[in-house]
Amino acid sequence: MQEVKNQVMNWLSQFRHSTVRTTAKDRMRSMLTHDRLELPAGRLECLEEELMCVVNRYFELDKTTTRFDLEQEPDRKASLIANFPLLRSKC
Amino acid sequence: MTGRVIVVTSGKGGVGKTTASANLGVALAATGASVGLVDMDIGLRNLDILMGLENRVVYNLVDVIEDRCKLRQALVKDKRHPNLCLLPAAQTRDKNAVTSDQMRELCEEMKKIFDFVIVDSPAGIETGFQNAIAGADEAVIVTTPEMSAVRDADRIIGLLEARKDQIEQYRLVLNRYRPAMVQANDMMSIDDVLEILSVKLLGVVPEDEDIIISTNKGEPVSGTDNTRSGLAFRNIARRLRGEDVPLMDLEVKSNTWINRLVNFFAPVKA
Repeated sequence: MQEVKNQVMNWLSQFRHSTVRTTAKDRMRSMLTHDRLELPAGRLECLEEELMCVVNRYFELDKTTTRFDLEQEPDRKASLIANFPLLRSKC
Repeated sequence: MTGRVIVVTSGKGGVGKTTASANLGVALAATGASVGLVDMDIGLRNLDILMGLENRVVYNLVDVIEDRCKLRQALVKDKRHPNLCLLPAAQTRDKNAVTSDQMRELCEEMKKIFDFVIVDSPAGIETGFQNAIAGADEAVIVTTPEMSAVRDADRIIGLLEARKDQIEQYRLVLNRYRPAMVQANDMMSIDDVLEILSVKLLGVVPEDEDIIISTNKGEPVSGTDNTRSGLAFRNIARRLRGEDVPLMDLEVKSNTWINRLVNFFAPVKA
């Protein structure tokens, strides 16, 4: 029974749009990750730009689908998630 | 006797620190423990009002620290709860009237008299807060499921974490919880808040108009039967005494068939 329920839930979740609750949770998570690292505004964007420049020296990037984000980890830690889709090598 | 000093703190004001302190004091006393309540909100004294003891305050915490009276003279005995005493804050002084060392000494002295010393911390993270946690063995962080309160609670957790050697543990009390709004997905749930703060839960207190009534009467809800918030605080007191008490049922029940269907597929119960 539980398994059927989980499967139905999973199937249903693709139709679930964001609610006030999930918005609050997402904002909260991102806010606290920045707070805990004492990260000033714009700092992350600055790093992204620099990193992208370096990678761009070696590869052509698909700049429309890059992802550069902080993610909350257990135990009040954070990690940096960077995803630069590559189109082709430059050399 | 060596009691435990528990500081009740939150960062943000108005989330229910003083209400929680008063109710935990009464509920712990009802379990048979001796309890000393300390109002550390110097200059903004309020705990005496919630306890209904405002007319019996003679001396205060600053009088004790500045040696104008003995600790025992300043303690106001609560006649309704024989093993409960209040050490009131000074109303005409400010937070700088006390140092952390003096506060530590006072807590040590109170630990010799009481099983539990509950320190009601002022809002903020400055001197008043630092003094309130100076002598604490343990902390209770009070927050509501609102974003600003959760953010401030996180700041407090960071500060407590930095004093791990002194403050052995800290746990969260989620106050003013509104199960119906959570069920409607309009508010963060218990699990959401715990996940975001990565903190241990001590208890959940539902939003309850009886709190306002009890404050007006000067009788904390945990001393009266038939209130949801009172039961929640009594459960928290039992957990502080080491008992394993499950969370009370907070779900808002509705019996229409559509609600039954929704509930069947609801992820996890709050």
